[in-house]
Amino acid sequence: MPSFLSLTSLEDVAEMLWAEGPTCALVAGGTDLLVRAPRPERTLWLDISRCAELAGIGLDAQGRLRVGALACHQEVVEHPLVRRHARLLGLACASVGSLQIRNRGTLGGNLGNASPAADTLPALVCLGASVRLVARQGAREVPVSELYTGPGQTVLRPDELIESVRVPLRRGRAAACFKKAGQRKGMCCSKASVALDARVRPGLRLVDVRVAMGAVAPTVLGVPAAEALLEGQRLSPRLIAQAAEACVAAARPIDDLRSSAGYRRAVVGALLSEGLLEILERLRRAERRAEGLRRARRARGRGRR
Amino acid sequence: MAVSVNLKLNGAACRFEVEPDERLVETVREKAGLTGTKLGCGVGECGACSVLLDGKLVCACLVLAAQADGCEVFTVEGLAPGGRLSDLQRAFVEEGAVQCGYCTPGMLMAAEALLRRHKRPTGEQIRQGLAGNLCRCTGYTKIVAAVRKVAKRRAARGGRR
Ligand SMILES: Cc1cc2nc3c(=O)[nH]c(=O)nc-3n(C[C@H](O)[C@H](O)[C@H](O)COP(=O)(O)OP(=O)(O)OC[C@H]3O[C@@H](n4cnc5c(N)ncnc54)[C@H](O)[C@@H]3O)c2cc1C
Ligand code: FES
Ligand code: FES
Repeated sequence: MPSFLSLTSLEDVAEMLWAEGPTCALVAGGTDLLVRAPRPERTLWLDISRCAELAGIGLDAQGRLRVGALACHQEVVEHPLVRRHARLLGLACASVGSLQIRNRGTLGGNLGNASPAADTLPALVCLGASVRLVARQGAREVPVSELYTGPGQTVLRPDELIESVRVPLRRGRAAACFKKAGQRKGMCCSKASVALDARVRPGLRLVDVRVAMGAVAPTVLGVPAAEALLEGQRLSPRLIAQAAEACVAAARPIDDLRSSAGYRRAVVGALLSEGLLEILERLRRAERRAEGLRRARRARGRGRR
Repeated sequence: MAVSVNLKLNGAACRFEVEPDERLVETVREKAGLTGTKLGCGVGECGACSVLLDGKLVCACLVLAAQADGCEVFTVEGLAPGGRLSDLQRAFVEEGAVQCGYCTPGMLMAAEALLRRHKRPTGEQIRQGLAGNLCRCTGYTKIVAAVRKVAKRRAARGGRR
């Protein structure tokens, strides 16, 4: 039987991890921990859910979005700053589990768990986010893309914990999609997922395109080939099909109990296509609306003269 | 070593001694004797154990009891103080939304959480709101109908129950 300790200050948690790190299991929402019990040598369950310093969503001193490790998925989904500046993260968090899971599971736990299927990972990689790690000796930042060294393995030292995630703000009109394939809509861990973030330019063009895939490799996988294909080009069903092919070619999936490698490889292409076709449809609608407005304005202008 | 936990359980202040790895669903069922909350899968997939924790819908099988210290817990028993069914529960009965009944307490809590957030939920919002709750009997149609019915009735009464 483990023992349980709740600490309310980050300093105390860091102190405890420094002294006892290898025997501690941090507990945030517990939605992973209570499904997959920690290894038996982790005899102290350290409750961090009451550390105010790990909570909240806001802007940091450098004007980046700061999402505290304890922010639950639903809080991220509903936050106005996320909606405005990091829509992709909101889409990924909205796809996690059910409302019950989103109300309890935290962003820090999703990353700390280091599952290759964690849904926020591909989104955070696309957004160029980093994780702020805190230890007694001091803090450091690690890009999310470098956080994982393999399934279940992170660069976190036993004396470190995740304090928050920092996301550079993306200004301008965003196009974003997050698509995942799983057992059941509304609640499942991903067999495969694809995230895309870009800025919109006139003429159905996307720039600053970032694409990342989850659960199709030991860690999150960026897809530079798909990004290069899409960058600055006019979006069309044909271009979308090519980008989807690039995802299929880049995937390095495995067979496991959730799915087979063959299915995963095929489905990432379909997921990117689905997301991009929806974006294309939205952009076309927006263009038609803008064109309609221009025409109405011209007509009114003539009427007055 | 047991941990002392203070809860406000359906409005009443309670104190329990819980094991470090005890889940809230066990505390509620075994220690408080409130067996309306069901234990189904035990891993967050079925929603039978749904309760409101500080007003938020959660799976009680995935909450460490010790972490709930100082929290308000609202269970299906809280919907019917003194055994008088709430309008939501009556709608479930009227619409035939209950068969074996195992999922029902969790469904009711999910519906309650939904109706607190959305006074006039759309069909899509109802299905989304119940997406974390499995029912193996009804086929969901009647459950959705019950939720829609109670939302409509409450709206007709100006939001009163
Ligand atoms: C039914 C169900 C459905 C799910 N669906 C999804 C899904 O669709 N997508 C998805 O990605 N995940 C899903 N999950 C997994 C899980 O809910 C999420 O990963 C969640 O974000 C975990 O957060 P938590 O706070 O509950 O983590 P916890 O269980 O508290 O912690 C998880 C791990 O991270 C460590 N940890 C926690 N906080 C920190 C920190 N601040 N610093 C360092 N380490 C830390 C813990 O020690 C532990 O090892 C699902 C889980 C269940 C039970
Ligand atoms: S028993 Fe908790 S979700 Fe199934
Ligand atoms: S009524 Fe039997 S599971 Fe829903």
